[in-house]
Amino acid sequence: MKKPELLAPAGTLEKLKIAIRYGADAVYIGGNQYGLRSRAGNFNLDEMREGVAFAKAFGAKVYVAANMVTHEGDEVGVGDYFRSLRDIGIHAVIVSDPALIEICATEAPGLPIHLSTQASAANYETLNFWHSEGLERVVLAREVSMDEIAEMRKNTEVEIETFIHGAMCISYSGRCVLSNYMSARDANRGGCSQSCRWKYDLYEMPKPGVRQSVLAGEPVEEFSMSAVDLSMIRHIPDLVKNGVDSLKIEGRMKSIHYVSTVCNVYRQAIDAYCADPEHYEFQQAWEDELWKVAQRELSTGFYYGVPTEDQQLFGKRRKIPAYSFIGQVLEYDSTTGIAAIEQRNNFGVGDEVEFYGPGFTHYHYRIEEMWDENNQPIDRAPNPMMIVKLKVDAPLKPFDMMRKALPD
Amino acid sequence: MIQIIATAESAEQAQALAETGVNTLLVGEDEFGLRLPASFTLEEIGALTNMAHHRGAKVCVAVNAVMHNDRIRKLPAYLLALRKIGVDAISVGDPGAVQVMRTHQIDIPYVYDAHTLVTNARQINFWTKRGAVGAVLARELTFEEIKAIAAQVSVPLEILVYGATCIHQSKRPLVDNYLQFTEQPRESKKGFFLSEPKQPDTHYSIYEDRNGTHIFATDDVNLVPYLGELAEAGLRVWKMDGIFTRGETFVNIAGLLAEARRAIEAGQWTAETAASLNERIKDLHPKERSLGEGFFTKQADDVQ
Repeated sequence: MKKPELLAPAGTLEKLKIAIRYGADAVYIGGNQYGLRSRAGNFNLDEMREGVAFAKAFGAKVYVAANMVTHEGDEVGVGDYFRSLRDIGIHAVIVSDPALIEICATEAPGLPIHLSTQASAANYETLNFWHSEGLERVVLAREVSMDEIAEMRKNTEVEIETFIHGAMCISYSGRCVLSNYMSARDANRGGCSQSCRWKYDLYEMPKPGVRQSVLAGEPVEEFSMSAVDLSMIRHIPDLVKNGVDSLKIEGRMKSIHYVSTVCNVYRQAIDAYCADPEHYEFQQAWEDELWKVAQRELSTGFYYGVPTEDQQLFGKRRKIPAYSFIGQVLEYDSTTGIAAIEQRNNFGVGDEVEFYGPGFTHYHYRIEEMWDENNQPIDRAPNPMMIVKLKVDAPLKPFDMMRKALPD
Repeated sequence: MIQIIATAESAEQAQALAETGVNTLLVGEDEFGLRLPASFTLEEIGALTNMAHHRGAKVCVAVNAVMHNDRIRKLPAYLLALRKIGVDAISVGDPGAVQVMRTHQIDIPYVYDAHTLVTNARQINFWTKRGAVGAVLARELTFEEIKAIAAQVSVPLEILVYGATCIHQSKRPLVDNYLQFTEQPRESKKGFFLSEPKQPDTHYSIYEDRNGTHIFATDDVNLVPYLGELAEAGLRVWKMDGIFTRGETFVNIAGLLAEARRAIEAGQWTAETAASLNERIKDLHPKERSLGEGFFTKQADDVQ
């Protein structure tokens, strides 16, 4: 049994380091060009170098997404770019456009290529095609089921990567240009305006020219394509048994709170299963932890059947998110029990807070006293990035995170 | 020589299209082809191919679906049957189909048709090196971009000059999911359209079939006023899509395109001819649907 890679998004250098500290075996990032997340934090070459060096120290890998569908001229300079990535030590590029695949293969030989989910690879012959073209890995379409993955594994040698957590395109990725038509923003070149998440009127036309609303419900439910998010935390054994090589978390735009939490949970589940498959038990605490950072309801997408209305964002939803990220531990002095915290959101005396850290450590604590960086007592920590000291009775570590439940 | 390629919804319509000057009939079975006006069995494709060949027309079979394992497994037998029938070409959008043709040595000429993904000459050249004999341009291209592409490729490019544009394909049953949620189940998931709430004039057709849910642009494409410029730029394979323009109306519009072709080839294409044909197309076009140039007349930097 092969232990799959846990692959996390990293919108910034800070997120890259956090994702790796919290258990990611690999991260994917974007450069300043050729990607699909024009609004995510993106890396310049110096930041990439630093990211690669950091990853190397942890035995982790860094992939760069260059998954736009180019129009004429967009490809200018990409050969140099790919060569730079290769020379920096980037482990692979994630590409969907055959134009870029060919340029990469010919102008930056030695730089492995992963086919992006934008190419909607959904059958084993497609995987074999790209394998025969020299690609190292294929990221599957989100529409592929677990049974289909099992069959693919038996029929192809190429590495298989699949999404396990996060938001989902409602379309076959790459086959949606709603945004191009509705907002003049090219979904396949980083401009997606998420038109699928909008609300629409739905009509039928019983006779030419007669429009009749189909909207119904009490109160009236508008039409939307918007889907709930994906979570495969209950199904890690299926993914491992079926030979998936890389388990991917979505979300280069997500916060360090989100990335650290999700990596932490899946790291636990993957390690627990691979260490002892026979005695593996799913832990409810893992799923509870994911709910703390969830942004929508969670589901299993297409893995176990075509999604019904239960996986659409219709009707009333539960309150999300449930927790607020309030601080990050900078230092902990084991002799005094004093932790220095960098504030990320307002907190104060009387708050029930939770610390968590790599290795799925948790510590619940009620703030009785706190001090500023000059050791003056304070009641609240209102200022972003201010340093706050707390006396705690459990060992904390730098890069542990602090959160609190939001009121109901 | 300008070629007209048009979808067909029945044997009768196919014959009428061939007789009115359509060079290539585009048909297929919905298990392998996308968004077709009708699904044709192999037997029907065989009969239609005979009919077409007797009239000097060609047949292209749509094999352009995004395929999952179940379909790719059936594809070798399907392609062998198409080869036996003697169809002239197929359209392909899933690289798995190219792989099947390679490994099973099924040598049917194929046109690369991956809809939104055909936006750069290098993509087309990639597929040409791997056997493609043509490509269908994405609808999301400006004329300037199209001309730049045309100057760099060695195979004919198909351009949609009349018909609907798909702008979204989901594997989810998006219409049914809504109808189930609001407890108004329907047999048919066709004939619906969406409007943006703040723009009640928008009309995005949406329907479901075995390939998922499909959404179409508000405006159907009509490039009749630009046919002369297209021909001049070397864009001489004009595609017509009849999914929302049915029966005789579609045949009559094909007739107008054939007229345009005659005028261009005889050197008699004028602004007046263009304007007059355009008026006639507008008269024929279904009243409940609007026409436009899509991205053709935009500038590249109109789109972010």
